[in-house]
Amino acid sequence: MSSTTITVDDLTFRYPGSDEPVLRNVNVEIDSGEFTAIIGGNGSGKTTLCKAFNGLIPHFFNGTFQGTVSIGDTVTTESDVSGLSKTVGYVFQDFENQLVQPIVLDDVAFAPKNHGLEDYETRAMRALESVGLEDAADRFIWELSGGQQHLVALAGVLAMEPQFIIVDEPAAQLDPHNARKTYEQLREIQRETEVGVIAIEHHTEFIGDYCDRLVMVADGDVAWANRVDVGLNRVEELLDADIHPPQVTQIARQLPNKQGTLPSGRYPVTVEQAVSAFPTGSPKGDPPVKPDGRGSDETLITVSNLTHGYPTLREGRKTVLDAFDLELYADSRVALVGANGAGKSTLLRLLTGLESPDKGTVTVLGNDTNDTLPEELAEETVYIHQNPEEMFVEETVREDIAYYLESRDDPDVDERVADVIEFLDLEDIADRDGRLLSVGQQRRASLAIGLATDPTIVLLDEPTGSLDLQSRREVTRILSRSVTRTETVVVATHDLQLVAEWADRVIVLGPNGILADETPQSVFQQPGLLEQAHLRPPQVVELSDRLGIDPPSLTKSDIVDRLATQGGR
Amino acid sequence: MGYLDAIQNITIADIKLDLMRTAYDNDEALLNKFDPRIVIIWSAIFVIVPWFFYEPEPLFAMLIAALLLAYLSQTSIYLLVLLIWGSLSNIGFIVILSSVVYWWQGGPGGLRGAVVDNSVALLPFTMKLTVISVVSLAAFSAMSPKKLAKGLLSLGVPRPFTFAIAYGYRMVPVLVEEYHDLVNSLRLRNKAPEKSGLLRWRYYLYLLKLSIKAFYPMAFNVAKRSRVTVEAMETQGFSHSLGNEASRELRLGDLQILPRDVTFMLVSLLFVVVVSVFL
Repeated sequence: MSSTTITVDDLTFRYPGSDEPVLRNVNVEIDSGEFTAIIGGNGSGKTTLCKAFNGLIPHFFNGTFQGTVSIGDTVTTESDVSGLSKTVGYVFQDFENQLVQPIVLDDVAFAPKNHGLEDYETRAMRALESVGLEDAADRFIWELSGGQQHLVALAGVLAMEPQFIIVDEPAAQLDPHNARKTYEQLREIQRETEVGVIAIEHHTEFIGDYCDRLVMVADGDVAWANRVDVGLNRVEELLDADIHPPQVTQIARQLPNKQGTLPSGRYPVTVEQAVSAFPTGSPKGDPPVKPDGRGSDETLITVSNLTHGYPTLREGRKTVLDAFDLELYADSRVALVGANGAGKSTLLRLLTGLESPDKGTVTVLGNDTNDTLPEELAEETVYIHQNPEEMFVEETVREDIAYYLESRDDPDVDERVADVIEFLDLEDIADRDGRLLSVGQQRRASLAIGLATDPTIVLLDEPTGSLDLQSRREVTRILSRSVTRTETVVVATHDLQLVAEWADRVIVLGPNGILADETPQSVFQQPGLLEQAHLRPPQVVELSDRLGIDPPSLTKSDIVDRLATQGGR
Repeated sequence: MGYLDAIQNITIADIKLDLMRTAYDNDEALLNKFDPRIVIIWSAIFVIVPWFFYEPEPLFAMLIAALLLAYLSQTSIYLLVLLIWGSLSNIGFIVILSSVVYWWQGGPGGLRGAVVDNSVALLPFTMKLTVISVVSLAAFSAMSPKKLAKGLLSLGVPRPFTFAIAYGYRMVPVLVEEYHDLVNSLRLRNKAPEKSGLLRWRYYLYLLKLSIKAFYPMAFNVAKRSRVTVEAMETQGFSHSLGNEASRELRLGDLQILPRDVTFMLVSLLFVVVVSVFL
């Protein structure tokens, strides 16, 4: 199969009702023989550009459209969206909403059936096989995990046997383990079938590991298009657009005397390259002093002999936590990590009293959750939902923050709300509807809703999930600051970079209970343990391990110091 | 209080699961084994048939048959109870109202006699209503969404409507989860009434208020989701399929009326004949 090219020629597009064009005189060529990544800051127009490839622009969003976009010989303005869907498939960022049929096979066959293709079933099965989901063909969509649903959406696109697949921010909605699996799947599809894959992505570590070419979109135009190793070396430009180059690239750049450069003179963009470029040897550092996870001896939460599960449709009652014991102390920052389904969220919900344990007891600040209403427990314990949307019930963020205080007839509601808004720098969004904000803003607002209650314990479910890097940094900052206001913060997360930078106690949950309960430092020294829990350490930890730095560095600045000393010897 | 809460928690999870089972686990359901067109026509007939009977006995026989069918079709017990309770309380209200009016007007026999008379008079009506609700519930909850949509499509119902059925089935679990999450989120930010009152009525009233309040945010969130859905459907050729004959044929290709479908219809009609002749 020969390759096809998407050619964008002088494209300018303006959404109806907007004064400024989103895309300005864009020129770019994308070849189906490559795995292309498109990056750019928020609002740079990268998603709009990709929607011009499959004809959603200008056929679905009519605006002012100038220039041409062609897929091979087909000019998009002369075709239509369903015609173009045969050559360009699109997996949306909110892929759950892309799945419209209840059963997996029907959903994958949806497009071929709509086009009246008689071999729809063979196509659907073949597509499911290529993403490794052939066994799930008869399952209901809602029975699948998020990662599997993403693969179903991908299969639905593959069933049309397109020449291009566009995947919009897969790493944003998936946990790192599944995101990596999706990328591996995509790369395999690209290599074996020569289908061009275009990923909109801002996690540069995935780009470094899996993509061939990098297209940078800035201010509605393609700023440049380079090979990935060249593109990711344009560190300044990336940082200006709030995109973080891979940790290894940043470390290499900070090392003195060009110690970190490859023979080509460029910085490495993958751990593999870094290992060959960086000074070798085994620099022994002093283990950094870290608290042991018991900020104080005062016990706030006791979980004893807890067994809990939920009923399932086909497999009876599924036990998630079995004979589980745990104590959480005052003044600590606890990270709860583990694979999906290990019971992280379930444990948090049990601590709120929204669910009562099947067996055993949960005691929060001296209250047995079996005998206390969740409303009463919420006076001291705050739970921030994984999906911040579920926290907005009023028309403005300000009202949402005030909701708790007002329901308790607090005498100085306005003052306390204003205080929280100021503490978290939310002035700019305080009077907007929470549900219409971007995910990053929603996340910050949901933290404010929680902190307004002046809690002793804060429970957060995936606070950095689906965030771009700037919002992520913001949230991490809030987390660090919120510790000054509360006794203990418990975070359920997949984000090991957050764990490395923030936590002082890590509880690793496995299928049969707690696998480890230690400091981040010692957890990161056990690669086998992390793998067992479907976790992947941050690049800096992986690099430390490969370079023989023991104990591993958890932050970039630490490893730079240690490598620099080593090199200078 | 812990005891009551535990019961409440179990029932919410169990009701959710039971509803899911009704909607999704149709593999064993009797009425799912037949051709969907037959089942739709069959249920249309049996929604009308009870109105031709006026004596309680044949109606009672039909009610028993309908309940048996509902049982074999794995209809949700909660839904059945809800439906039957609905028709009974509705009729009960009519009985009370009419009796009070009768008594007020000074009719002979007094209030008690009036209640008895009116109940007997309304009994067939009650049973008719119950039979048709049970029959339609059994038929529509037993058929898998795919079959139901197919059946309706082949009977000439427009495709956007049959698509909506399949889409509805896809979305129900999402909505249920979302709604439950929102109610929980509200609970964690509200204050439960300090005195719960007799049988905890204040507390339940408070929960009822919260569950009503959670509806609007749910509708809002769903509307937001559907923006992407509409775009995605466009990219999957949905609007293209609306006028496409080939696509329609693919959808209906494997519908076939088998001997067992005909047998089912005949046996049902025979049952009606037997009931009307012998009872």
